[in-house]
Amino acid sequence: MEYKVEAHRIMSISLGKIYNSRVQRGGIKLHKNLLVSLVLRSARQVYLRDYYGGICLSAQQAREWCEGEYMDSEQDKLVPGSTESLPESDGQSEVAVDKQEPSNVVESHAALDVESEASGEQDHAENGVLDSGCSELKTPEESPEASPTCEVSNVENLHEPIVPHTCTNRKRSADDSELTDSLPKKTKVMSSTLISKNDEKKAETEEMDTSNVSSLITIFGSSFSGLLSSEDGAQPDSEAEDSDSGQICCDQMLKNLNPWSTAIVAF
Amino acid sequence: MGEDTESSKGNHSFLRDYVTEADVISTVDSTTQENLLATGDKGGRVVVFQRETVSSLLPPTSSHLLSSLLPLPPLLSQPKGELDQVGETGESGEYNVYSTFQSHEPDFDYLKSLEIEEKINKIRWLPQQNAAHFLLSTNDKTIKLWKVSERDKQPEGYNLKDEEGRVKDISTVTSLQVPVLRPTDLMVEVRPRRVFSNGHTYHVNSISVNSDGETYLSADDLRINMWHLGITDRSFNIVDIKPANMEELTEVITAAEFHPHHCHLFVYSSSKGSLRLCDMRASALCDRHTKLFEEPEDPGSRSFFSEIVSSVSDVKFSHNGRYLLTRDYLTAKVWDLHMEKGPVETYQVHDYLRTKLCSLYENDCIFDKFECVWNSSDSVIMTGAYNSFFRMFDRETGRGVTLEAWRETSKPRAVLRTRRIYTGGKRRRGDVGVDSLDFTKKILHMAWHPEENIIAIASTNNLYIFQDRVSPDTQGPDLGSDTI
Repeated sequence: MEYKVEAHRIMSISLGKIYNSRVQRGGIKLHKNLLVSLVLRSARQVYLRDYYGGICLSAQQAREWCEGEYMDSEQDKLVPGSTESLPESDGQSEVAVDKQEPSNVVESHAALDVESEASGEQDHAENGVLDSGCSELKTPEESPEASPTCEVSNVENLHEPIVPHTCTNRKRSADDSELTDSLPKKTKVMSSTLISKNDEKKAETEEMDTSNVSSLITIFGSSFSGLLSSEDGAQPDSEAEDSDSGQICCDQMLKNLNPWSTAIVAF
Repeated sequence: MGEDTESSKGNHSFLRDYVTEADVISTVDSTTQENLLATGDKGGRVVVFQRETVSSLLPPTSSHLLSSLLPLPPLLSQPKGELDQVGETGESGEYNVYSTFQSHEPDFDYLKSLEIEEKINKIRWLPQQNAAHFLLSTNDKTIKLWKVSERDKQPEGYNLKDEEGRVKDISTVTSLQVPVLRPTDLMVEVRPRRVFSNGHTYHVNSISVNSDGETYLSADDLRINMWHLGITDRSFNIVDIKPANMEELTEVITAAEFHPHHCHLFVYSSSKGSLRLCDMRASALCDRHTKLFEEPEDPGSRSFFSEIVSSVSDVKFSHNGRYLLTRDYLTAKVWDLHMEKGPVETYQVHDYLRTKLCSLYENDCIFDKFECVWNSSDSVIMTGAYNSFFRMFDRETGRGVTLEAWRETSKPRAVLRTRRIYTGGKRRRGDVGVDSLDFTKKILHMAWHPEENIIAIASTNNLYIFQDRVSPDTQGPDLGSDTI
């Protein structure tokens, strides 16, 4: 659970930095903001993973998610033993945990996961890049406690994957030693970003936006174009609430969304 | 430990009266100059120092400078014959202010409603071709070529102007004279010769003069342009990594440099930790690299901050052109141009910070961009750290030393004492604990004389100059003694 707290803290700090950079002298520093956004995505990934883990462990949802995962062709690449482990998704987090490194380490920045989580339709195998980070999601310990908040996905839909290609590379290199376990696998599936998404899913995503997350989504949704637009002088109003919106949105999502609603594909 | 804390507290109050934001040195260069050193600061000023080669001593004329002579520790010294040029008093070689000028002013981009900082990001000297010296200085957007020349004669005896320059009344002129040149006091004149503007959309982070002496490159976050020193209204774009959709941006250019001998080769580093060597003969737009130098990431050391820590902050060719030196947040790496799969040497600069990345992220220190330099023979590399420490690594032995650039602990002509960071094990007196490091005292900018063992270290608003001196009085390595 402390990972969630740490990740949340880092997210707040990062958002604060992005916000402050818009008012500092000399204009926006592209390099620094790029790095901050990478950290933000990593933190978000970890943060959402915690909730996600909770969802997976919840019996009903877990089974249903698992079924969808079978169809994920991407899994085979990274999750050799996935099919067997599926049935165990309900309870056996330990499997996944063993080999995984101690957390707090969020590798793959590839922000994608964020979106991927939103998009993680269990029924649709994503062709999209699976963020390696997803596979590393090891939250077995925390999963029982986490309420099945699907804020996961919604928060994520924010932004289209910033670097699908990059993600892929990272994933392959980093995940070789990684565990493929039911839990991580699921997360990965869920989080797989959609490069090819259903129109249906897209529609759902749009409907799912709540006002709570809208500001945060706007920020991420605009991502660098948002940064650039402020370089150009334009400043979305929602940016003023960067720091707060993250927290509000996450909390709200936790309470309001049910697991199925999270199966929303971002874009 | 106690004494360290006290001394640093004392120094803070002393410095507070003198340090202003605008005096913070932001770049140092002496690459092609034997006797000149230039520093740029955040206020847009450039200060040029000259090394005295005669034995006369002149006191420093600028109050915010510190220039001292200190021998380097013998373990790294390389005695050379030419160091014995000392005059009778043995005091030659001291650097003094040669000239100061305002290079850039704060500017405003009306189209984007953005302020353009006057901070000098980089200065590069040009190879000397005649009596005058030329340097390029750049802020975020504009590069300027300055001519630094001496004048020791002045024409006198104009017919139409009097001595003060006022125009004479023609009716008072009764005879004609030929103006003559008369010797005057030495004056250093600095004039802007070229202004290279509107070349960059993003912030310029590097400039590098080509070995052909005619062109130079300037790099910003996403593009690299090549300019001709004589042409200011156009430049060639040779690298463009801006993606069609900015939301797909994954890396930016962090530094770039031309090869010291081959005028068609240059290298640029990225925020992902990779280096790309480009050959301009291959194509006009060098988006496709000739060589890509990248070290695979260690999956065991992933963290939230892995990307930030692997971003390369500086890249330098060795003098012989065979190696590259890069600096990322925690390490300095030497790469062989013939081997792309990884560095040939990796030096840990301050690995004890690896566990503190989160707090360094909060206070923005993790974004600090440290520079690195080679010595003249490419056998020693040097880079900066925190707490006014800087590190030198001897490539042959792999050993590194930590030295300090801090006026309270450095007396002129004293031997520089090596420092240690306490990270566990037996603690010696004088060791500094990791938690007592002052992260506001960072050594980001430095320069090494192109031929001799003279280094310039910029620490906040002070410039420290250290020289290696061979003399019978040199003591042995002074590692164990306590100071002050």
